[in-house]
Amino acid sequence: MATVTLNKAEKTYPNGYKAIHGIDLKIDDGEFTVLVGPSGCGKSTLLRMIAGLEGISDGEISIDDKVVNKVAPADRDIAMVFQNYALYPHMNNYDNMAYGLKNRGHSKAEIDAKVREAARILQLEDYLERKPRQLSGGQRQRVAMGRAIVRQPKVFLFDEPLSNLDAKLRVDMRLEIKNLQQRLGITSVYVTHDQVEAMTLADRLIVMNGGVAEQIGSPIDVYERPASQFVAGFIGSPAMNFLKGKASDDKKHVTVGDGVELELDHDVEGGRDVTVGIRPEHLQMHSDGHGRIDAGVRMVESLGAETLAYLDFGANADNVTLRLQGTHQFTQGQKLNLSVPAEKIHLFDVESGKRI
Amino acid sequence: MKRVQFEHSAVPYLFIAPQILIISIFFLWPAVQALYQSFLLEDAFGLSSQFVWFRNFEDVLSSSSWTRSAIFTVVFSVLVSVLSIAISLFLAVRADEVIRGAKTYKTLLMWGYAIAPPVAGLLGIMMFNPLMGDLYMVFNSFGFEFNHIENPNDAAFVVILIAVWKQVSVNVIFFLSGLQGIPKSIQEAATLDCKSPERRFWTITFPLLAPTTFFLLVINLTYAFFETFGIIDVSTKGAPGGSTATLVYKVYVDGFLGADMGGSAAQSVLLMIMVSVLTVFQFRFIERKVHY
Repeated sequence: MATVTLNKAEKTYPNGYKAIHGIDLKIDDGEFTVLVGPSGCGKSTLLRMIAGLEGISDGEISIDDKVVNKVAPADRDIAMVFQNYALYPHMNNYDNMAYGLKNRGHSKAEIDAKVREAARILQLEDYLERKPRQLSGGQRQRVAMGRAIVRQPKVFLFDEPLSNLDAKLRVDMRLEIKNLQQRLGITSVYVTHDQVEAMTLADRLIVMNGGVAEQIGSPIDVYERPASQFVAGFIGSPAMNFLKGKASDDKKHVTVGDGVELELDHDVEGGRDVTVGIRPEHLQMHSDGHGRIDAGVRMVESLGAETLAYLDFGANADNVTLRLQGTHQFTQGQKLNLSVPAEKIHLFDVESGKRI
Repeated sequence: MKRVQFEHSAVPYLFIAPQILIISIFFLWPAVQALYQSFLLEDAFGLSSQFVWFRNFEDVLSSSSWTRSAIFTVVFSVLVSVLSIAISLFLAVRADEVIRGAKTYKTLLMWGYAIAPPVAGLLGIMMFNPLMGDLYMVFNSFGFEFNHIENPNDAAFVVILIAVWKQVSVNVIFFLSGLQGIPKSIQEAATLDCKSPERRFWTITFPLLAPTTFFLLVINLTYAFFETFGIIDVSTKGAPGGSTATLVYKVYVDGFLGADMGGSAAQSVLLMIMVSVLTVFQFRFIERKVHY
């Protein structure tokens, strides 16, 4: 049981590249925190700094109020699950799980009990005598998880643990990880670039971009009130539609495309240029023509449960994606009449990308 | 399981023909010649020869100088292999940990590879020259009474030193590439699981280097058996009194200098048998334990 605190944590590489620009964060006891962002955003670096695999250039990282900047990785009482499993190929699965305990001087009987218990939880009992290479990807990842849980560490660190698995297995393992973490109640930090994993696993989501935490909040909060255009575009699939817009003089509307006025639920400075964000699932289609947006169908993807339509909007033929439940038949060039509820419109500053 | 056999043309045989030709001319034919010659007794001028069955072998096996050479070869090969592997493993692991100037260290460690064995032998023997050799002076200034020209043990020390020095660079190259082959994440996982670097080395790094080490053991034994010929010929020439003559060197001395063709051929046949047995042994019993 532990908390993890980052106090202006920074990472500058010897070549001068600054990977992490001062991150402040407090992870509560038992909380499942997910670091999400595109590749190169520094999420893995941050995780590795917590693990002690990367040094901390400035600021402090504490586990349970004890500063660990100079503490060796093995003494931080953390366990990490790697993307490529990182199992010891020359040891059988039992020894893989027992290795960390052996080095910490636990008795043989104690080690055996812990390994068997972990194997039971992860359904690995039949595979303990085998070598990692004799297992499938999902089983290997389970052994890697077993290696982490036998130690009952203060903090679990996950570095994209599901990226090497196929799609179906990824969903199964995702549920398993969530389940396991809730059962064990161990503080966890999880790194992923997959926003579905991020949304489903996180108690709290940290969206990172360019070494900065763009937004920290619950998954739903991040989805409903993205703090910046970057977050808005990154979270949600298909990605949010962005249109150039201008606030009207009455401060209650915003104009997009060829003078289409959309109603807002909050006031905005009149005449200001803004970026208007609308999620594909929040566009509503009307057959009676009283929507304000008209757009022509360019391409359609039918997924069965839902239909994605890619539309051309306005004179500049801006791309707009529409997401509808169920199946729909559209022909190319067909005009659709759409509207969007005022509370579902997001406005961002054109320069800074910050939410207005 | 039945494997699919496709019809193919003669082209593949054409491609392997050069290699077959080389093996036939430089190995199979001489081997057969040696086997044939080992049954012959030839006069010193090579004018007449007589078929004597196994007498050459009896002479060789009962001669004390051959036994002595065989014992020296075994001791020499084991020491050269073990020492050069141990030293190069240590150097490679340390060089691998270096962050600043890693390339320079690695290049310098590999440098010795470019030196031919006779040149290494020449360098070595100059270092031990009683008149101007630096190492000779150093040892004697400590009061060792070091004299490789008269003392067999000192002479053995000199050839072993040169042979190890020459081989370390080759081993370093292989160990460095072996270390590169260990995934970084496995080493990182180990740093989370085990605090002591020494323990980590013996439980993770060393077992994962086992295939490299085994390969090098084979290569180094072969090297010590055969390729040290140049070193010995340039440095001690088997002196004093044949105490530093390996079996290969003795074959050359007895056959080409002593003109005992039959005896020399018998020795090389025995050598061939020993090496075959050694190779089979290595692959049978050691390789089985190193694969993971």
